[in-house]
Amino acid sequence: MKKYGILIFVLVLLISTLAFATPKDVLVVGTREDVRILDPAVTFDNQDWRVTYPCYDRLVKYKGSSTEVEPSVAESWQANEDGTVWTFKLKKGIKFDDGTPLDAKAVKFTFERLKKIGKGPSDYFTEIKEIKILGDYEVQFVLEYPYAPFIYTLATNAASILNPNIIKHEENGDLAQKWLATHIDGSGPFRLKEWVKDEKIVLEAKDDYWGEKPKLKEVIIKVIKESTDQRMALERGDIDIADGILVDQLEKLAKNKDVVIRKYPSQLCNYVYINNQKKPLDNKLVRQALNYAVDYKGIIDFVLKGNGIQMRGPIPKGMWGHSEDVFQYTYDPKKAKELLKKAGYAKGLELEIMYSSVQPTWEEEVLILQSNFADIGVKLNIRKLANPTMREKVDKGQFDLCMGRWSPDFADPSMFMNYWFDSSKWGLAGNRSFYKNDEVDKLIREALKIPDQKKREELYKKAQDIIMEDAPYILLYQTMSIIPMRKEVKNFIYNPMLERMYNFESIYK
Amino acid sequence: MRIAKYIGIRLLYIIPVMLGVTILVFLISHTIPGDPASLIAGPKASKATIERIRHDLGLDKPIYVQYMIYLRGLLKGDFGKSIRTGIDVATDLKKYFPATLELTFFSMLFAIGAGIPLGIISAIKRNRWPDHISRTFSIFGVSMPVFWLGLLLLLVFYSKLKILPGSGRLDTILSPPTHITGMYTIDALLTGNWPVFISALTHLILPAFCLGYVYLAIITRITRSSMLEVLNKEYIETARANGIPEKSIILKHALKNALIPVVTIIGISFGELMGGAILTETIFSFPGVGKYVVESINYLDFPAIMGFTVVVTFIYVFMNLLVDVIYAFLDPQIRY
Repeated sequence: MKKYGILIFVLVLLISTLAFATPKDVLVVGTREDVRILDPAVTFDNQDWRVTYPCYDRLVKYKGSSTEVEPSVAESWQANEDGTVWTFKLKKGIKFDDGTPLDAKAVKFTFERLKKIGKGPSDYFTEIKEIKILGDYEVQFVLEYPYAPFIYTLATNAASILNPNIIKHEENGDLAQKWLATHIDGSGPFRLKEWVKDEKIVLEAKDDYWGEKPKLKEVIIKVIKESTDQRMALERGDIDIADGILVDQLEKLAKNKDVVIRKYPSQLCNYVYINNQKKPLDNKLVRQALNYAVDYKGIIDFVLKGNGIQMRGPIPKGMWGHSEDVFQYTYDPKKAKELLKKAGYAKGLELEIMYSSVQPTWEEEVLILQSNFADIGVKLNIRKLANPTMREKVDKGQFDLCMGRWSPDFADPSMFMNYWFDSSKWGLAGNRSFYKNDEVDKLIREALKIPDQKKREELYKKAQDIIMEDAPYILLYQTMSIIPMRKEVKNFIYNPMLERMYNFESIYK
Repeated sequence: MRIAKYIGIRLLYIIPVMLGVTILVFLISHTIPGDPASLIAGPKASKATIERIRHDLGLDKPIYVQYMIYLRGLLKGDFGKSIRTGIDVATDLKKYFPATLELTFFSMLFAIGAGIPLGIISAIKRNRWPDHISRTFSIFGVSMPVFWLGLLLLLVFYSKLKILPGSGRLDTILSPPTHITGMYTIDALLTGNWPVFISALTHLILPAFCLGYVYLAIITRITRSSMLEVLNKEYIETARANGIPEKSIILKHALKNALIPVVTIIGISFGELMGGAILTETIFSFPGVGKYVVESINYLDFPAIMGFTVVVTFIYVFMNLLVDVIYAFLDPQIRY
């Protein structure tokens, strides 16, 4: 009996060595979380966008790795002088899988559906008043008020153009939301072939794509939860790109000759919300003191292993509107102490900071902050919360300090300036420090309306100068996007606006 | 007949248990701070958008109304729709439970298949080297952290020796077999899909070992002590005096009586495992209910949490009942 047991075991082991290798024209991406919802009008998550983005087309697209946009489905466009009427001419001959042409009707249908559903992604398009069909391939957007970033919002995943025929899947007036949560019907270079929940999602390249044909035949996005597992799978060649390997594993991985670790400056920013409405943090001097107390370089070197840069102003490097002339706080405990004294807290004070497990590095960061603050006489209590709980408390302003992060969805500095500082966006909506400065409100609201980029830049610069003086947040760092991949992966292009959304249409092995 | 009545009464007990558990979990999950609507709306959504979503989900109603609505749906067999994925919870559970059941089955197969013989050997060769080896082996099992063991197994068998596959249920390029039971090995067998069968089976070896090892250790120890106790009983002496062969004494006379506590442990373990082995499932990216419920909790996905609770409670209660019924077969003295 025992003998047979051993025999069977050996047999199974032998058979299992005949693993099923991945072919050269299939790209496997390892990821830590499964996709949730595929409907572009509903999902607000880069993880989902990675799948939907290459399956749909949009009016405009990003030019390679830059944040400039160029024509995609739109052949050309024109705006009137104050930027309230935009007219697009569409390319002819673009079809959905069932043969339906991508025309003005499809564009109108897409945006009207988006607005009717009214979930997160529709927030980009609140300015759209009306969409007019001028001809089969000519469509016009009429805006309620001038909205400068409009053209950039059209490159977001939310602006993915849907096949109007999906409406036949409508149930109880849900505009086919239930169907589109698990299906894709676009004109992009890929289509959804298979989705095995929590295991993998398979995209298949279209032979008859209207643009440049993808070189890959299939893309498989495979769920591998553990960072260590992903590292092992990448080293073995079971996956080609790993997007969930934590910083502490990189050193080891760097020694592997078959793997390249690519690093790109991202616009993912980490910062600390300071509750500007709560005593003693309503005092500008206290907020400045906290800003001077932080060892920025220490955090970047120790926690991020050098993979980040300290922020200079709220607009990250790489986004237009960023200026090297904006004031930057430096690590200066002496000055911090003086400021505290001036504010009347010579004896020190006690504060609490919240964080969650959403970002693994926060745990180390709050500990560094605790010791930095202790140096200037501020006792920092640390409180770890479940992410939904933390978010609720942020929304209601029930905190002193809180760890936070933010990344832009389209290439416009308003993604930072108008969200973080507008006093009408208090709470989760963006202004998480409950900051209010009438002058800043005026400047940034004006900057959102005028179409002239140069003028907008000036207004944002002015606002940034006031903001840095007011110190409503502690601006920590912008991270590097670190993407380890097999060295066979060619033509990988990183675009900071498309975080986690890779250029499957042009990658090859 | 008596036993049928007993089972009937026990089944009726399930109703108050289920009611109690659902009320409790519903209350807890709805009263902790956190708003799924804001999670769905995304990090930058406006207040109006969040309000609208909350209304759509019915989260703006008083909690007892929400519970009544939930209960009414449940009685009709409707588990509601997942907040996180927008898919019916029943569909999700149908996908995740078979995976867990498959993993549980193979781990228990390993734990029982190796645990009971080891326990018997230990008891017979008490305080001699086979006993020492088996006890050391089981001490490791009870004390080794699962996540560490899992990673170690992957490192050795997947990364270094390259003889076993890594995480997941199947090789990346293979598609799951036609859905019959949801258990890949069985479905592949039924449809004669050999590559998938082998792939699914080899993918189960490491997680099943990792998960089963703890239970193997427990079963070995319980079997050993229970066997020792029985072997010292007078009727065993009598049997020996009557010249019954030792093998038959151990397997027929002693083991059957010694198994009662073992069956209890197996039953409870099985119920426990069906609740999902979160660590093992995470390390091996095995899409079972454990992983599912943890992700649901992170999202405050009420319908999913409730659906999971209902099903697991049912299985747990049912397993307990099954264990009690098995007692009667093992020990004729037990009457209901």
